[in-house]
Amino acid sequence: MSGSRTLRLISFVTWFNVKMLLSSEFFILLTFISPLIFATLAFFLFKSGGGTAGQTLLYVALGAGMMGVWSTTLFGCGGAIAWQRWEGTLELLVNAPSRYDYILVGQTFGAVVFGFYGIVATLAWGVLLFGMPLEATFPLILPLSLLAAIVSLGALGMLIATTFVLYRHANALGNLLEYPIWLVAGLLVPVATLPFWVRPISWLLAPTWGMEAIRGATIGADPPILAIAMCFILAVVYYVAARVTLVFVLAKARRDATLSLQ
Amino acid sequence: MSYGMLFNWARPSIYIPTLIGGPTFQLLFFAALGSYATNRSPAYFAIGNAVQVSAIAGVFGMTMAIANERWFGTLPAILATPANRVALFAGRFMPFVLNGLLVSLYAFALGFVFLGVRLAPGSLAVVGLALLVTVFACTAIGALQGAISLRLRDGLFGANLVTMSILLFCGVNIPMNELPGWMQVVGNLLPFTHGLEAVRQAADGAGLGQVGGLIATEALIGIAYAVAAFALFVYLERSARANATLDVR
Repeated sequence: MSGSRTLRLISFVTWFNVKMLLSSEFFILLTFISPLIFATLAFFLFKSGGGTAGQTLLYVALGAGMMGVWSTTLFGCGGAIAWQRWEGTLELLVNAPSRYDYILVGQTFGAVVFGFYGIVATLAWGVLLFGMPLEATFPLILPLSLLAAIVSLGALGMLIATTFVLYRHANALGNLLEYPIWLVAGLLVPVATLPFWVRPISWLLAPTWGMEAIRGATIGADPPILAIAMCFILAVVYYVAARVTLVFVLAKARRDATLSLQ
Repeated sequence: MSYGMLFNWARPSIYIPTLIGGPTFQLLFFAALGSYATNRSPAYFAIGNAVQVSAIAGVFGMTMAIANERWFGTLPAILATPANRVALFAGRFMPFVLNGLLVSLYAFALGFVFLGVRLAPGSLAVVGLALLVTVFACTAIGALQGAISLRLRDGLFGANLVTMSILLFCGVNIPMNELPGWMQVVGNLLPFTHGLEAVRQAADGAGLGQVGGLIATEALIGIAYAVAAFALFVYLERSARANATLDVR
């Protein structure tokens, strides 16, 4: 399959998945409403502590937006393969001439791209309701930061999709993993304030570096080169791990004749 | 029996991650965020969230207990029986109230061990009563959401919205007097606000005489939501019979 056809396939599946998620009330809540509620909550908490400067608002808005991105990634990717099973499309997709992992890449990127609308929503919330200044210290680096965050979260989403399928109730894992990643990745609370043993865990997580890349480009003092590089490195690691897991899962499902079983 | 059948999360593989794991991390998240942002004690946020996590059991549980009758195709059979509707409806409350209490007590224990939650000596009974009434009120709003869900495509949308609203409006993390006026009005109309305040005051040593009014208000709010839920359930039953939409999804 040529590179351009692969890209076309991935972009088509991405767009298709975005449209599917747009029709889901649950994902609308997760991406657009939930980050606004958490952003408002965090704003009042910071206000209570005396921190309502423009940069604090931007910090909160970006953090709450990324919380929405993580939720959408977690739930959108965690159930990706399971949904294909329920809808009866998994066998068709696995046996199609296109490589299945490319389809999965498109599907997980769709969830992540959809999640990033949440950041736009929280930024609009900050500007319209709280007069938040919309500025970036490194505006030229910001698009690269966003791209790095999307790529790393998309690859993590693919790893989530391939591993969660081994657990019968993927949504329950989603319920479990929402808050801890919000906390450990430093989306609203700096990682430096958490116990020292949490920090190495945060280094392994795409949301940590994605958030740092975006915050670094908007309110950081230095360009977030390390964070952007880490996003791309982690994306490669996640993709390789996801590919290996996928090959194992699919081979096992074919061998046991459980591909279409729920 | 309906509890086990209709409550999708009643099996350990879902119950443990959702009703034990989720609340654990919710407590830790808000304790960390709250104490970082406001310099208040983590115990303040731990108490608020220890009470609030009962909503996961109460609101989601009751929503499922009512709405799943429709999704599992058992609603027509239930409504065809001559069973007393009040008994049918009220009988669903008890397991979810007990489950909510269990989740909340677990969260209190977690707060006690890790986040510095301490209850004043002799306050256990009043805290327990306030907690019980709060969980009942929360289950009642879950019942209303369940009844509304009989007409919705995705009932859990509303359940999510209710639990998030409780986090924002009811003094779980932000003291009520620090919220804008309109948010205080909304908070006072929702369950939790008065009950949680009663729990907080009782934990600090207030007796039943001091928090009795708050507990009574919370109970009245819970009863009002339960009555509204039952009325809506009956209305939807009649409307569905009249329009032959009982089983339409």
